[in-house]
Amino acid sequence: MNIRRRTRSRNGPRRRLCADAEEVVAAAAELGLPCAVKSQVLRGGRGKAGLVRLVKSGDEARAYGSELLGGALGAAHGVRKVLVEEAVSIDRELYLSITVDPQAATALILACADGGVEIEELARTAPEKIIRERVDIDAGLMPFQARNVAHALGLEGKLSASFVTLLSGLWKTFRDKDAELVEVNPLFVTKADEKGERALVAGDGKLVIDDNSAFRQGGAEPSREYFDSDVAYEAAKEGIPYLQFDGDISLMCAGAGLTTVVYDLVNYEGGSVANYLEFGGPNYKKAVRAMALCLVNDPKVILIVTFGTIARADVMADGIAEAIAALKPRCPIVACIRGTGEEQAVETLKAAGLEPLYDTEEAVRKAVALAKAGGRA
Amino acid sequence: MSIFIDRSDRVLVQGITGGEGSFWTKHMMDLGTRVVAGVTPGKEGQVVEGAPVYHSIRRAVTENPANAAMLFVPPRFTKDAVFEALDSGIGKIVTIADGIPLQDAIQIRKAALSQGARVVGGNTSGVISPGLAMMGMFPYWIDRVYKPGRVGVMTRSGSLTNEVTAMIVRAGFGVSSLIGVGGDPVPGTRFAEMLPDYQADPDTDAVVVIGELGGTMEEEVAEAMLSGSFTKPVVAFLGGRTAPAGKRMGHAGAIVSGGKGSVKDKIEAFEKAGALVADRPRMVGELLRTAFGRTLNR
Repeated sequence: MNIRRRTRSRNGPRRRLCADAEEVVAAAAELGLPCAVKSQVLRGGRGKAGLVRLVKSGDEARAYGSELLGGALGAAHGVRKVLVEEAVSIDRELYLSITVDPQAATALILACADGGVEIEELARTAPEKIIRERVDIDAGLMPFQARNVAHALGLEGKLSASFVTLLSGLWKTFRDKDAELVEVNPLFVTKADEKGERALVAGDGKLVIDDNSAFRQGGAEPSREYFDSDVAYEAAKEGIPYLQFDGDISLMCAGAGLTTVVYDLVNYEGGSVANYLEFGGPNYKKAVRAMALCLVNDPKVILIVTFGTIARADVMADGIAEAIAALKPRCPIVACIRGTGEEQAVETLKAAGLEPLYDTEEAVRKAVALAKAGGRA
Repeated sequence: MSIFIDRSDRVLVQGITGGEGSFWTKHMMDLGTRVVAGVTPGKEGQVVEGAPVYHSIRRAVTENPANAAMLFVPPRFTKDAVFEALDSGIGKIVTIADGIPLQDAIQIRKAALSQGARVVGGNTSGVISPGLAMMGMFPYWIDRVYKPGRVGVMTRSGSLTNEVTAMIVRAGFGVSSLIGVGGDPVPGTRFAEMLPDYQADPDTDAVVVIGELGGTMEEEVAEAMLSGSFTKPVVAFLGGRTAPAGKRMGHAGAIVSGGKGSVKDKIEAFEKAGALVADRPRMVGELLRTAFGRTLNR
């Protein structure tokens, strides 16, 4: 799971957080019109999804506020709060982030003079426009590097200086928060004011904290909004890797690599996956919980494939037998459990009424055939 | 000859007194690995499977020189443990830890490279030369999986390795040396960095690469083949062909990002370089037969 939080800049435009349409109207009146109304949801591409809009009148603020807070649009995207912000007079939009370059094993600054779009899209369509600056994680961001990025973005004079300050702050956040990604997008360059001054304003921000650092980043709990379904959220809270799909076969497998391949094989055979679930690694004693999560999807078949070393086959088989006794699943279960203690596992599965298989591809074919027949053995 | 580990290596086990540490130390020894000492802070004076335990590596190596370190240490302490091994000049380090903080992994790799040391892992089962020695956790006693032979294996996944290696053996082959580089986005050692060892190894005739979506490690192997620096036959098997874009399938490193790392790209790169690409585990064995046939016909 990723834990995402929206960042709040200290020097950004004035803003109010609102929970209903009347609050939106009041905030708009206070901040002055036009103003921006932004849905507070943990996803990118909000503008494209119609979740951010500039409103020009009180009526418009009320109408859009109602759509987002209580209306269908908001409900579809799980909007619970909106941020009303004074409008910024925008000259241009930049992209700026710090992430990790896995191949070079360094930190990497990504910037682009064309902001407001998703960086993945830009990497595909116009890779030459992306400014890249690698940063040594021990030495840290050097001022010359920040200046180089500023120049490449076409920022001069005071703007360049404030960019260097901004980027240095982002670097500190990247390191202090064990971030996988810290991103400001769009980063606005305002139009010149009456004194001819321009400023940098963070239009939106994203912070993705590395899950593996949770132990030293205290207090970061996964939030429901980030997950596709209640089951996915429940699984995440227990540390069970889970992905929600909408097909027929629930995968209850062990090991990331093997589960991914079983997912592929189900698709090759013309089947469809209801959910991806791993109960290997530290979760190999959680068969009962794992099966309960699968059953929420009312799958036509549960497909269990493992080949564990530390995640012992006999222990997993005991758990599966216990899960069958406790949960009494109505759908058939196809099991292919191998690895440490597999002889004992086979006996346990037989005693639980299953026909253990030894070959992954055979197990997948059987599961797909059962699903196509409607899920009754 | 084998790659990375053989019976002449003097292995020190960090975290030897823990449940996994002591269990796998016994198995490493049973297979023939020379474990000379263990380290667990606060546990000096104990003996595990005949290996004396010390508070620190510095104290252990004064009496028991070691050139390799096997870490059974939790992810949050892994950086400290790796740096401790590097500090004593240990050049081969394997860490199984699943969940090393990303920024720690960057510092670990950088420190190892700067000393000319090699760190394998984390998030791996380790390294094994069946019949000879291992650093890590492999069910080598299941002989339909870990049979000695002449096929090298490099892998990002533990569970999938058992699956695919069983297919290699079923097709009548065995394994020379298997290196699990692990499933993390920033592994201590990348696939391509092991290729010179496989190239030089007279006991390896071909290499099976078990990869998956995400990252660029598979593409780097293809580049080495194209440049002519690696010339033995390669059979590749890749997980995540049908994975939806943007979803992280299991391993932290298994995500398509920045438009890079799709399985389609990897297959294209491998095929262009002359590797044989299996789309199912069973096909790995069949393609090895083809690969060996092609070598013999040359």
